[in-house]
Amino acid sequence: MLCDICHKREAKIYYTEIRNGEKKEQYLCEECAAGQSTFQTNKGEYSIEGTLNNFLSNILGSIYGEGEQKENKDTMPRCESCGISYEDVLEHGKFGCAHCYDSFKVMVDKSLRQIQGANNHIGKQPERAKDSSKSYVLNMTETEKLSLQLQEAIEREEYEEAARLRDQMRVLKGEEECVNGMKKKENTAM
Amino acid sequence: MRKWYEEEGEYSDVVISSRIRLARNLKKYPFSPKLSEEQAVALNHEVMEKLEDIKNESGTYLTCSINHMDEISRLSMLERYIISPIMVEKKQETGLMVAPDERASIMINEEDHLRIQSLTGAMNMKKALEEAYKIDDYIEEKLDISYHNQYGYLTACPTNVGTGLRASYMVFLPALDAAGNMTQLMNEAGKFGVTIRGMYGEGTKACASIYQISNQKTLGMSEEDIIEKLDSVVLQVIHQEQKRREHILNTNFSVLEDQIYRSYGVLKYAKQINTKDAMTLLSQLKFGEDTKTVTLEKPNMIFRMMMEIQPANLQQKLGKIAGSAQRDQKRAEYINMYLPELIK
Ligand SMILES: [Zn+2]
Ligand SMILES: [Zn+2]
Repeated sequence: MLCDICHKREAKIYYTEIRNGEKKEQYLCEECAAGQSTFQTNKGEYSIEGTLNNFLSNILGSIYGEGEQKENKDTMPRCESCGISYEDVLEHGKFGCAHCYDSFKVMVDKSLRQIQGANNHIGKQPERAKDSSKSYVLNMTETEKLSLQLQEAIEREEYEEAARLRDQMRVLKGEEECVNGMKKKENTAM
Repeated sequence: MRKWYEEEGEYSDVVISSRIRLARNLKKYPFSPKLSEEQAVALNHEVMEKLEDIKNESGTYLTCSINHMDEISRLSMLERYIISPIMVEKKQETGLMVAPDERASIMINEEDHLRIQSLTGAMNMKKALEEAYKIDDYIEEKLDISYHNQYGYLTACPTNVGTGLRASYMVFLPALDAAGNMTQLMNEAGKFGVTIRGMYGEGTKACASIYQISNQKTLGMSEEDIIEKLDSVVLQVIHQEQKRREHILNTNFSVLEDQIYRSYGVLKYAKQINTKDAMTLLSQLKFGEDTKTVTLEKPNMIFRMMMEIQPANLQQKLGKIAGSAQRDQKRAEYINMYLPELIK
């Protein structure tokens, strides 16, 4: 594959650039890539992360509002543990340490709702964490779990997925009722 | 010792591989944006020392430092799916522990302190997850991992928090590609929380009709549910691809057959060939093999060849001096030599 700029050398590097909200993809050779100062790769990261971070910064930024953010530069919260500022997190879309999740909890909760559509972990946990946390999710019934997932799918605007979950819930509920009905019958027979 | 790309399995006519990545961080160090040079070195040392004895069926993991390698070696490891783009670029101390069969690896100081990776051939995410869990459990015995009671496994970027899980299928979709269905499919998949991207991941173009399909969200669903949801989308993609293939075979068999044999001929006898052309021709031959239009003496070689003819992989075999003209000649030579014989 040839470079999209010089059309001479072999393209080795893939670039994505976001300009005015439009995504532009390019295949470049090393020489031409080095000359592209606007590309985010020059910050030492692959541009894909850049686009993700832009997206994230937009979300995080919109929670507090752009103007508000600039005016209150000095009063912006910092993480006590690693010293990273709220502004830094906004700019790079990354946290400085594990403690940041608690330091910026309000922002974390809101942004996780938007990015992930949820803010509670379900699933694998380290052996040593198991005693300290009795996750409520583990004790939920299948239908309760599905209902939670359904709410989350609706919030994420994944309507097809929501419809699938709703159907799954109906089937499950139908089965439960059926089982209950049978139990009743057994009881009366006894 | 069989590599993952030589493996037969479920839906192997469409699915090339199943990959799990788990993001994990150590309690002891700040995340990568706040990690100093000294801490990066200490992190690499500590992980390599504590995990010294880690092994799988193929033997004890090999350990190496990535940032001290030359760029060609790093790119070549990227082309073989051993390391990620971030690892190629990063200047700070980065390391890799990899099983001899390349099915399992641990990247050290990527975007997170640890990225556990497990690969299997064809559609078998369950097995990939089991393998990744084995590594994860072993690591938890040896190192103190960041875990939050509400948010789960903590990661530098909130897009990975919770399970830290990225499950990704590599699929071959020539018929859907030819029908011009991919853009629509990518949009549709998004509604189900699934991403479809090019052969080398985020930000890369699709090459030779090879795509990666993976989950977007990592929080609020168990690992099993994430995979189940992903599978339901992937199975639909597979069935659509199979239906399109059947249609092409039924309506256009002689044209297709001719194209496949021609591709074989060019690959067998070309004296120089660039990556893009070679990928297109290999893709057609793979299509021929997967639809049983042709039978090759040595099966499942084509995808491996696709990886090996990538620029950095070739360059590594050639040494540093080669320019792109020499590479094109070497690429042709390599293909002439390794292309499996046709069985009539
Ligand atoms: Zn160029
Ligand atoms: Zn912090």
